[in-house]
Amino acid sequence: MSTKEQRERIELLQGTLDLLILRTLLLGPAHGHAIAKAIEFRSDDVLQVEQGSLYPALHRLIKRGWISVQDGTSENNRRAKFYRLTARGWRQLAVETSKWDKLAGAIARILGPAEQEGES
Amino acid sequence: MSRRKRMMEDLDQDIRDFIERETQDNIGRGMPPEEARYAALRKFGNVTRVKEETREVWSFLWLEQLLQDIRYGLRMLAKNPGFTVVAVLTLALGIGANTAIFSMVNSVLLRPLAYREAQQLCLVREIIPELTQTYPTLPANLPNFRVWQRDCHSFAEVAIVTSTGAILTGYGEAENIYGGLASANLFGVLGIVPQLGRTFLPQEDTPGKDQVVMLTDSFWRNRFHGDPTIVGRSITLDGQPFQVVGILPASFRFPLRTDYFKPLGLDPGQFSPFEEFDYTAIARLKPGTSVGQALAELNVIQARIAKDAKHGVGLRAEIIPLESAFVGTARRGLLLLLASVGAVLLIVCLNLANLLLVRVPVRLREAGIRTALGASRARLARQLLTESALLAILGGVLGVGLAYFGLRWLVAVAPANLPRLDEVHVDGRVLWFAVFISMLTGILFGALPAWRVAHAEPQQALKAGAATITEGRPARRLRESLIGFEVGVGTLLLIVAGLLTTSMVRLLGVDKGFSTEHVLAANITLPPWSYTKFAQKQEFYENVLARVRALPGVKSAGWISRLPLEGEEKVDNICVPGQLTPRSQSPTANYRYVSPGYFESMGILLRRGRLIEPADRDRNVALISESVAKKVWPGENPLGKQFYPGSDEKTLAEVIGVVADIRTVALDEPPLMMVYLPAGCARPWSGSYTSLVVRAAVAPSALASAVRGAIQSVDSGVPIQHLQPMSEIVSESVGVRRFQMGLASLFGVFALLLAALGIYGVVSYSVARRRQELGIRMALGARGSDLRNLVLLQGMSPVLVGWAAGVLAALVAGGVIRSLLFGISAQDPLTITGVTVVVLVTAALACYIPARRAMKVDPMVALRCE
Repeated sequence: MSTKEQRERIELLQGTLDLLILRTLLLGPAHGHAIAKAIEFRSDDVLQVEQGSLYPALHRLIKRGWISVQDGTSENNRRAKFYRLTARGWRQLAVETSKWDKLAGAIARILGPAEQEGES
Repeated sequence: MSRRKRMMEDLDQDIRDFIERETQDNIGRGMPPEEARYAALRKFGNVTRVKEETREVWSFLWLEQLLQDIRYGLRMLAKNPGFTVVAVLTLALGIGANTAIFSMVNSVLLRPLAYREAQQLCLVREIIPELTQTYPTLPANLPNFRVWQRDCHSFAEVAIVTSTGAILTGYGEAENIYGGLASANLFGVLGIVPQLGRTFLPQEDTPGKDQVVMLTDSFWRNRFHGDPTIVGRSITLDGQPFQVVGILPASFRFPLRTDYFKPLGLDPGQFSPFEEFDYTAIARLKPGTSVGQALAELNVIQARIAKDAKHGVGLRAEIIPLESAFVGTARRGLLLLLASVGAVLLIVCLNLANLLLVRVPVRLREAGIRTALGASRARLARQLLTESALLAILGGVLGVGLAYFGLRWLVAVAPANLPRLDEVHVDGRVLWFAVFISMLTGILFGALPAWRVAHAEPQQALKAGAATITEGRPARRLRESLIGFEVGVGTLLLIVAGLLTTSMVRLLGVDKGFSTEHVLAANITLPPWSYTKFAQKQEFYENVLARVRALPGVKSAGWISRLPLEGEEKVDNICVPGQLTPRSQSPTANYRYVSPGYFESMGILLRRGRLIEPADRDRNVALISESVAKKVWPGENPLGKQFYPGSDEKTLAEVIGVVADIRTVALDEPPLMMVYLPAGCARPWSGSYTSLVVRAAVAPSALASAVRGAIQSVDSGVPIQHLQPMSEIVSESVGVRRFQMGLASLFGVFALLLAALGIYGVVSYSVARRRQELGIRMALGARGSDLRNLVLLQGMSPVLVGWAAGVLAALVAGGVIRSLLFGISAQDPLTITGVTVVVLVTAALACYIPARRAMKVDPMVALRCE
């Protein structure tokens, strides 16, 4: 792993990991390693998931009832823990997504004009 | 199996799975299996920490960790029993002393008076501007009180009360009891509801209908065994029947000593507005009225009264909140004690912090390992704080126990005239205070070491062996400054204690004007119903004096209407004929009736002329004190001069002698002007209360029973009170000061010993640490004494800095305690020098003992020990 690569990676904002986990599980149940890999892959390796925060986040979501965990068999026939989105998790994902859209839009509006001013 | 436990097992499995997959991925990228596994583990990070943080989602993790910390902490404390015992004991003493003193402060200063809405209650005193030099304020006067009651709209109500007394007969031995003569509305104003019966009715204020009394709870219980049927029955006071109408509640407190209350029953017509300023007026302000508003209105009324009276003097008033009037001067002394004892606790904390700091290097290694294993800094700090909190809690529990017993002792030794002393006890607020200061001390002494350990670099701690972790300069500085601070606070406390002690010595050594050795005094009250005529009283006294003088061991005996130090009584003008100033503005003096033999017995020196002799009882003569001579006849020979003894007196008295000034009210108040009149046919004495004074050739207490027998052989129905040596009366009069001095000295010495312990600890530790260095120095030719001096110098340098700071603080803050001192300035050089010697010698000793050990370092052993 080169240092350059390290630098381009962005650590996740507090709270956004929950949203990303829910979004990832929308595609179907997955185990911990797969969730981390999926987030890294789908963000073109820009977002890095710290294991230190992945597991606490997963358990937080279980505790809130947004995801559930069950034993399952993985692609290479090994037993693994699978995390799955619950009905409440579906609803929560919709809420969180719209919240995120609003936030991102608002930040973009603030940052946008400043860039234009800078360019002009 | 709990959900949490299941979740944790799932987590374990999942983490293993994660690392397994990552390893497989790495192998897939072409890494050798071993390396692939390490890379996966590195990438995952600290497994323990991840587990712990995940577990935190599920549990009261903090509770679990707390229990774990407590278990661990207890184990650590058990492993160092010496340290634990010293720490818990000093903490218990510190917390216990603080709790005990706080209980007193709480009861005396903080707990509200047991009256309804006590903050509305005020004391009203009067001011005659022309008299303010002698009497800044006066108690209230009855006719003026009637005017306030009628005209002052700022007051919801005003009541008035004065002390009285009576002889109770018909229930065992005759007893002189204390009473309050009160306007019928007193209990209404105070908001007191009787526990039995009723309070006074308005019509009972008028003469003829006032033969009723209310009893205080303690008197009722002690004298009548709490018999409820006493209400409605009659008791005999001064030979007359009084109906008991009610019993006051047990919570009722009054600043005067009272066994019973009786309505005024006085005819207001017989009082003129400028006499008899004898009454305590208590007013309840209307809600929303401030003291300032009430005072403004009252002063207008006072001015009108003065104008109408046409005495040519002014009249004003003063309104003091009842609470501060009750507590008075006790506040400053108690707060001083609280501050001192708080400072002692601070020193206890600093000492423990120092002891813990010494152990920091050892803990650093342990902390390093724990950090490497995944403990966070906060977790480490919390663990160390738990240890100190455990010590504080143990100390606190023991301390509350100590406070409970200490408080009994304090109340027993506290002077009886400390206000509200009987209310002192441990209550909920005191317990909360104890809990609070225990936690505070735990945090205070634990914070520094915890911070130091938590912020250490784990690699460094692990790299070096525990024994060779060199103590950095900042660490030593920190411990030295703690020592300096301790010495500073200790010095300050000792200076305060020293000043109070010197004040006490000066006070007891002050020229009282009378002697106390070999003097016995007894208060006697003649029952007014059997001694109605002056001649009867005179006969009684002549018989008593004759019998007492005949006792073996008695040198002389006499009596006076009120003893020195028992306060003012019968204050009246000295009116010199032919002087132009109105009588009411002429100088005032305390008048006393005396018998022949009084001055000899009391040891009051005659300055000029002669003393009273038996034949003087039929002559109009008087003795005056030196201050009267100076004030009334400055530069003249007062002997043979004549004056009217009192503004209403019609017969002149001739001065036959001048006696020494005496301390009339208290040792710390300057002598008052005194006039002594021989009780006799020329001036019949109307009172019934006297004090017999006996001068003995032997120890006065040995004579007590003989004197009592002599009095009772004349009339066994005469109650005798306070038969005690005069030295005891003097000693009781300075009780508050002795109490303050004693406790302040105790705290000061305690602080010094703690500081010495701290110094000893730090210096011996540094000698132990530096064995190697000292060994090298010795091997290079240093002599033992050089090494000793080196250690001494280093140990003493923070002491000197602390001492200087303490003295400086005492000089700056001395003004705060000025009102508690007597006869010395707050910057008294002698006291400061004395304290300096004590502090420096003690500190030098504490340094010297370990420093001597430095001399005995064997260079070979020291060098080999690594």
